[in-house]
Amino acid sequence: MFAVLHLADFPLHAILRTAPDLAAKPVAILASPRARASLLALTAAARAAGVTLGLTAPQALARCAALTLRLPDPAAESEASAALLAAARLLSPTVETTAPGVVTADLRALPADRHDPLLTAALTQLAALALPATAALAPTPLLALYAARQLPIPPFRPSALLPFPARLRRVTDPRAFLAPLPLATAEPPPHLVPILAGWGITTLGQLTALPKADIAQRLGPAGLALWERAAGETTRPLTPAPLPVAFAARLELEEPIETLEPLLFLLRRYLDRLALELRTAGLAAATLTLTLPLEDETEHTRTFRLPEPTASADLLYRTLDAYLGTLRTTTAVTGLRLHLEPTRPLARQPGLFDAALRDPHAFASTLAATAALLGPDRVGTPQLLNTHGPDAFTLTSPAALVPPAPAEILPPLGLPLRRFRPPRPATIELTNHAPGYVWTPDCEGAVSDHRGPWHTNGEWWTHADAWTREEWDVALADGGLYRLFRTPAGWWLEGEYD
Amino acid sequence: MLSASPDPAALRRLLATRFPGAHTWGESTAPPPAPAFATGLPAIDDATGGGLPLGALTEIVCPAPSCGGQLLLGQLLAAARRAHRRVALVDAFDTFDPASFGDDALAHLVWVRGHGDLPAALSATDLLARDGNLGLVLLDVRAASLAALRRSPAPLWYRLQRAAETAQLPLVVHSPRAFVPSARLRLELNQQRHTLADLATARPSLAMALAPTLRRQRLNLAETA
Repeated sequence: MFAVLHLADFPLHAILRTAPDLAAKPVAILASPRARASLLALTAAARAAGVTLGLTAPQALARCAALTLRLPDPAAESEASAALLAAARLLSPTVETTAPGVVTADLRALPADRHDPLLTAALTQLAALALPATAALAPTPLLALYAARQLPIPPFRPSALLPFPARLRRVTDPRAFLAPLPLATAEPPPHLVPILAGWGITTLGQLTALPKADIAQRLGPAGLALWERAAGETTRPLTPAPLPVAFAARLELEEPIETLEPLLFLLRRYLDRLALELRTAGLAAATLTLTLPLEDETEHTRTFRLPEPTASADLLYRTLDAYLGTLRTTTAVTGLRLHLEPTRPLARQPGLFDAALRDPHAFASTLAATAALLGPDRVGTPQLLNTHGPDAFTLTSPAALVPPAPAEILPPLGLPLRRFRPPRPATIELTNHAPGYVWTPDCEGAVSDHRGPWHTNGEWWTHADAWTREEWDVALADGGLYRLFRTPAGWWLEGEYD
Repeated sequence: MLSASPDPAALRRLLATRFPGAHTWGESTAPPPAPAFATGLPAIDDATGGGLPLGALTEIVCPAPSCGGQLLLGQLLAAARRAHRRVALVDAFDTFDPASFGDDALAHLVWVRGHGDLPAALSATDLLARDGNLGLVLLDVRAASLAALRRSPAPLWYRLQRAAETAQLPLVVHSPRAFVPSARLRLELNQQRHTLADLATARPSLAMALAPTLRRQRLNLAETA
């Protein structure tokens, strides 16, 4: 069996997918920008106003002054085609882009009882992508296409979902299905149309009632091919569409966007399609790159390294939403580009005692929100730098897995330091070359005990960053243990032993 | 019979007399003990009946310099690591010193370095407490001035209490004075007087010698951590 996913009025629905506000308005798609181009597709509001297919633009406007005329949008059609193809891959690995808005899948290797559930899932997925497709199942690709075209066009809603029977048709008896269909269904060659009309043949059944050999003799190879199509005898191999190698989307906006909501809506649409493509290809996204071209001809680009590879549109959207909520640009956004770096989905078995994250994506969102509050370089796991310089560390992303703590061979000594950042300037009165009295903004008092000095220096080989200091540990008479240090610039209070 | 302006205490006594079953805890109606996070310090675990309460705010008051606040913080980090819990430290005034602990001891730590902005630190603590991936959240506001602490609205602290309840994690606040209104447990480190000789003493010994005073406890605890 072969299945066809058919999106009628393809140019119109490709545009409505990213501009749903047009669905309720009278909108028509022109075939081309030429003066006498005819209408290709209409919204329900345009039909209700008396506009019909085939009219030219002036004729249509004469019937409906509020009519919005749009040209086909190649980028939107490419996006919709990719979504159709991705949904078709839920049915079979062998899928073909038969025509704009038509995708054929080979289901011959699939058990018959799996056909309907998978087709329902594919249609549901397309409805969630705002593509109200119909589907048909038949013994040949051509029959399936004819059947899909006979189904009524579902009304557009931003996420439409009609009852299953109205959008799926199964052809079990090709002859009985084809007989009542009009002759135009089989797309007769133009030169045969008047001949057949003269014979009084208006349906496929009337044509196939005539002997095949006689039709071939009278009408030639074109007539024979038409007869075979009308009888449902035409079959052909599918031309498989290659798997996508790049998971990307781009859009040039007609009007610049200044607020967040329309941008998020568009991003969600594209992420839904990209996530579906990843899932059907058995892949997940390792990184997500967002580029926003701006009105001043600059671009804002940000790459997100995901805590775990994912093919979930919700998680990808949440990552962008958390970031864009804090983004401020100087000019409006004129387009967008999304790129997902594919990778194999993560398959790991953590150790029994490893502390793993329950929800890595939620954790990443929390850290992103915290970084938005306090700054991007203020959140992370500290790692000491390989230097003797004071307070030398860096913040890294928290590890996905934390191994158990290694056994402690030697316990640490002494009290930990509670630092003052930056170090506080101190005024020191020396007694016998050692601190005798301390004045700082945080503490003051006579020194009852001291240790030191310890001399340290570093970076002496790079003259600009060379440092040298003399450290002292002091205890104040009123309580408190502190670390002081002296540099050529003076005395400083580094911290409190606590 | 009640007076025209009843004293609340008298009212409670009257209600207890009229409805004794609703106001006394019998053996069969005793509240179940709340779970706890064992700190590994007998002075705390024994005094509280198990450790720091899960799903509740604990305030550790450090009124004096070098009273052992960072020592206790380090002990909590070590206890969390042993219990395979991740820890977030919201360091409102950026006073934490990673070099005092080493990389191995901090692999499970998310350190949030504040700028001295108390409202931002409280917001960050709220976010982290609600995350669900953390087993312990610490908020260090010891360097905050009393004026700044008084300006922090009480509802914010009750919000943190609810966040800890929802996530069932221990949320610990290090403060210079007792001020957290929603703290279920309050410990005060005031009696230790460290000397320079302690800088050459093994840290576990110093931690075991900590003797915080129990100032408030509103829950019965059972050790589960």
